[in-house]
Amino acid sequence: MTATASEHDRTAAAPRPAAYGLLAALRRNHLAGLLSIAIGLALWEVLSRFVVANPLFLAAPSQIVGAIFSLGETGELWRHIGISGLEFVIGYAIAAVLGIALGLAMASSALTKQVSQPWISGLYATPTIALAPLFILWFGIGVWSKVLVVILLVLFPVTINTEAGLRTTSPRLIEMLRSFGATPRQIFLKVSLPSATPFILAGLKLGIGRGLIAVVVAELFGSRAGLGRLISQSADAFNMPELFAGVVVLAASGIAMTAGFGWLERKLVPWTQD
Amino acid sequence: MNAKLAVSSLDKRFDALEALRAIDLAVAPGEFISLVGPSGCGKTTFLRIIAGLEPATAGRVMIDGKPVTKPGGDRGFVFQNDNLLPWRTVLGNAMIGPEIAGRADAAAQRRTLELLKLVGLEGFEAYHPRQLSGGMRQRVNLARALAVDPDILLMDEPFSALDAQTREIMQTELMRIWEQGRKTVLFVTHQIDEAVFLSDRVLVFARRPGRVQETVEVTLPRPRALAVKRTPEFVAYVDRIWRLIEDDVRASVIEERG
Repeated sequence: MTATASEHDRTAAAPRPAAYGLLAALRRNHLAGLLSIAIGLALWEVLSRFVVANPLFLAAPSQIVGAIFSLGETGELWRHIGISGLEFVIGYAIAAVLGIALGLAMASSALTKQVSQPWISGLYATPTIALAPLFILWFGIGVWSKVLVVILLVLFPVTINTEAGLRTTSPRLIEMLRSFGATPRQIFLKVSLPSATPFILAGLKLGIGRGLIAVVVAELFGSRAGLGRLISQSADAFNMPELFAGVVVLAASGIAMTAGFGWLERKLVPWTQD
Repeated sequence: MNAKLAVSSLDKRFDALEALRAIDLAVAPGEFISLVGPSGCGKTTFLRIIAGLEPATAGRVMIDGKPVTKPGGDRGFVFQNDNLLPWRTVLGNAMIGPEIAGRADAAAQRRTLELLKLVGLEGFEAYHPRQLSGGMRQRVNLARALAVDPDILLMDEPFSALDAQTREIMQTELMRIWEQGRKTVLFVTHQIDEAVFLSDRVLVFARRPGRVQETVEVTLPRPRALAVKRTPEFVAYVDRIWRLIEDDVRASVIEERG
């Protein structure tokens, strides 16, 4: 007998018709996105140089690039990136570990869930970033007050996703494992955890943007160094190119980390990609 | 007869609902038994009790004279939905049973590879479930149950989600595999012709409460080819079982109206 792999063959060797011209080429090579960015930057350049024409209100992309280079040369940019990066990494790492642990605890015990659910839901919905001035008052103007704000913003999406991922594990898959006499520990390791992994990764991905916001806003409230500090002191001095330089560096790191997560997801949870 | 599986006065209730009443059954080693009946007659519940996935309300299930209380490696369950783990390969899915039993060694892997060949999946060991057709996924489902080398195979409508032609092919495949290993099989199905084609005995279930209405012995010679389905003897078996079920359905309709 022959088993057919028709579905596989179809996905493996989808034939492409000959090029439809420029539009097809654009679509195929994702050029449309790049083109859109290039046109947008050109418009921005023209707008700021010839329409607004006031460096106090808007900096042109070329000026921003210039500011990034000159800040980089003096070493000031690296100092700010280093401090903000440190705050982000420490806070994010603690929040990830704590968040997953808390999610596991909530999924494994009904009591833990009942006790912590109202707090987590409440704090997740609250703009806790508004508490940043309080943390600065308590923990000083240095790194640790910012770390705390990052933890507070990253923790809850990770917890909520971990718990949801474990809770929504397919009962059929659990039953399949049970039919082989699996212990609760085996069910957790072989079914619940792998099937919750896409959820956990999604929570961590959500945490990137929230963590970056936490760092910058907390620094705006009071700091000695960091990208938020760079932005606020540039704003005070009406130095628009340097202000935008800080924003661009933040945006680039956010995009890079999110893309890194996309790669991680394709590696770790390829079955969710279809 | 020294029964492989013996069920005596088995009852099952779900609160007010009486799902199964007074089921008695003795199955000889290597026997192929099918369970047919209208929807809601409790045949899947019966299978799940034998698997140890569901407790009985009263009565006993014995395998080789020992009472069944929980799932075990002496039974392999083939699910209606294949329930494959999407993150595992075909081989990884088929190895789950030995893995849970704590003996996923090289010998177990060799045996599982042999089983995958037996069910026609040679060359697909490294594929993931999403790359397989429905029929192929059910082959993995079967290989996974066989990988723990169970004495009894419990099959819950394993071919119901397949198209008619694939189902016929899978029936002959199952026959070929069964002829080689001669496992004891309990096979739940809605398809009467499937039950007659595969079985030594067909248990016809009635509903409300679920109970064995009649047992039909199928004495068609083995091995059976698909062509047997067109013989008058085969058609007579199907017809007889159909009439048994039809009566039950009609009776239940009248009961509901009254």
